[in-house]
Amino acid sequence: MHDVAWVVGVVVTVVLVGTYVTWLAARLDRLHLRAAAARRALESQLVRRAAAAAVLAEQSDSPQDDLYLAARGALDTPGGDREAAENDLSRRLRELDVAAAKAEPALVEAVEAAGRRVVLARQVHSDSVRDALALREHQLVRWLGLARRHTRPAYFDIDV
Amino acid sequence: MRIGIVCPYSLDVPGGVQLHVRDLAETLIGLGHSVSVLAPAEEEAELPDYVVPAGRAVAVPYNGSVARLSFGPISLARVRRWLSTGRFDVLHVHEPVTPSLSLLAVMLADGPVVATFHTAMGRSKAMAAAQPALQLVLERITGRIAVSDLARRVQVEHLGGGGVEIPNGVAVAKFAHAEPLPGWPGEGGAVGFLGRFTEPRKGFAILVDALDRIVADRPGLRLLLAGPSDLAEVALPDRVRERLTFLGKVSEADKARMLRSVDLYIAPNTGGESFGMILTEAMAAGTPVVAADLDAFRRVLDGGQAGALFPNGDSAALARTISTLLDDPAARRRLADRAGAVVGEFDWPVVARRVLEVYATAIDASPDLSESARASRDFDEYMPGEGVEL
Repeated sequence: MHDVAWVVGVVVTVVLVGTYVTWLAARLDRLHLRAAAARRALESQLVRRAAAAAVLAEQSDSPQDDLYLAARGALDTPGGDREAAENDLSRRLRELDVAAAKAEPALVEAVEAAGRRVVLARQVHSDSVRDALALREHQLVRWLGLARRHTRPAYFDIDV
Repeated sequence: MRIGIVCPYSLDVPGGVQLHVRDLAETLIGLGHSVSVLAPAEEEAELPDYVVPAGRAVAVPYNGSVARLSFGPISLARVRRWLSTGRFDVLHVHEPVTPSLSLLAVMLADGPVVATFHTAMGRSKAMAAAQPALQLVLERITGRIAVSDLARRVQVEHLGGGGVEIPNGVAVAKFAHAEPLPGWPGEGGAVGFLGRFTEPRKGFAILVDALDRIVADRPGLRLLLAGPSDLAEVALPDRVRERLTFLGKVSEADKARMLRSVDLYIAPNTGGESFGMILTEAMAAGTPVVAADLDAFRRVLDGGQAGALFPNGDSAALARTISTLLDDPAARRRLADRAGAVVGEFDWPVVARRVLEVYATAIDASPDLSESARASRDFDEYMPGEGVEL
């Protein structure tokens, strides 16, 4: 009788712990998927902004070589230097004298709209990275090595 | 795009969040989107046709006032049904961290979720205790919007996370064309005040004191007062009382008429205003504003260009400002003109376009759309600058 109670107790405990760990692993998967999707969305907004800036630089009545080079740089720079290239483009866009560039208002508006979308996408990305990193620090996640299957998400540190 | 909006409070009860949800929904519909609003309401209540009632709300004391909320198994079933029949491209919930329909919708949704935080609410202790549970809600939200800098700061400090600040909108046209009340503003000058005038931080006593200083020199000066408080609870000198017209609690339509009926709108608040909605409404009505120099008011009034500022709490300075402006119609017109330009950026269609940009961002960043599903959708629908009319 005593033994049966023991067995039942152990089985119930194992089932509860198992359910919790499964739920935790699913949550971890979801947060990593989310961070990865946010990263892709941010990168595509950055490409869109650089493309809009390049078009603006080319079509302005006065030459905007610096802006064009910065936009090309943002489009062409891979990997780790990307943040610096994007920051350079942000700076050029801030310094851009819209009146002096004599560009079509539609082109300026396209760059501004793309800039706003970059700000939003960066915010969403930072939020999702922070959520994923926080769960990676969870005691049980660390003990069981649940996060090993996922690449550690990183903040994309740009100034926009 | 197909947009599902959840309002946690009954739409048949007046309130800031409810008004925001209605105006936003109607603006988005006006821009050609398909919108459904889920809100607590009696089945027989008269509601706009875009509203889906989610059953009766229960009154719950919350954060110093009474909130009417829906929460429980019946609400849960209704939220689930609304989500599955709506097939929304994006779900937009308001005030998601209160126990409400909004919270249920966030937990049940599997598509992109955007949330708007309205109030700068919550004691940090309660927030800290609930943090692990709140985190489960927050990590399902992709895009976060705060209606004021204060609401955004609360999010950063207590909920861990950023969020974009998009101000409350104002239906400028409704205010700009309202009919003034008969006989107002009149020859001798009229000033207005609207709000819970028994609350000390609304600063009504400062206005009364300022008027007490100038009524003797201005026989025609009148005060138009509206608000959901009891006039018997405030101290009024007789000479101010005899100049007072009290409207009681006013509807949205009467609020617009009231604001159009005065020469100056006075906002003597001593603190606690996170945004200053009433200021933008007075500005939309074309009425010059005189406000205390709180940070929030200073920002809305463009540093004093779009409305006069006086030192917070200084009734003598307020009295001087009122006198000067009542005697100078040209100065009043200058303030009103500048205010008209500033308030344009708070106009609902402008604000709604910014909200749509957040929707588009959340949809883009949502992992639930597989690459093939993403491609098969009408791409142009989401992408501003690429064909979408946001």
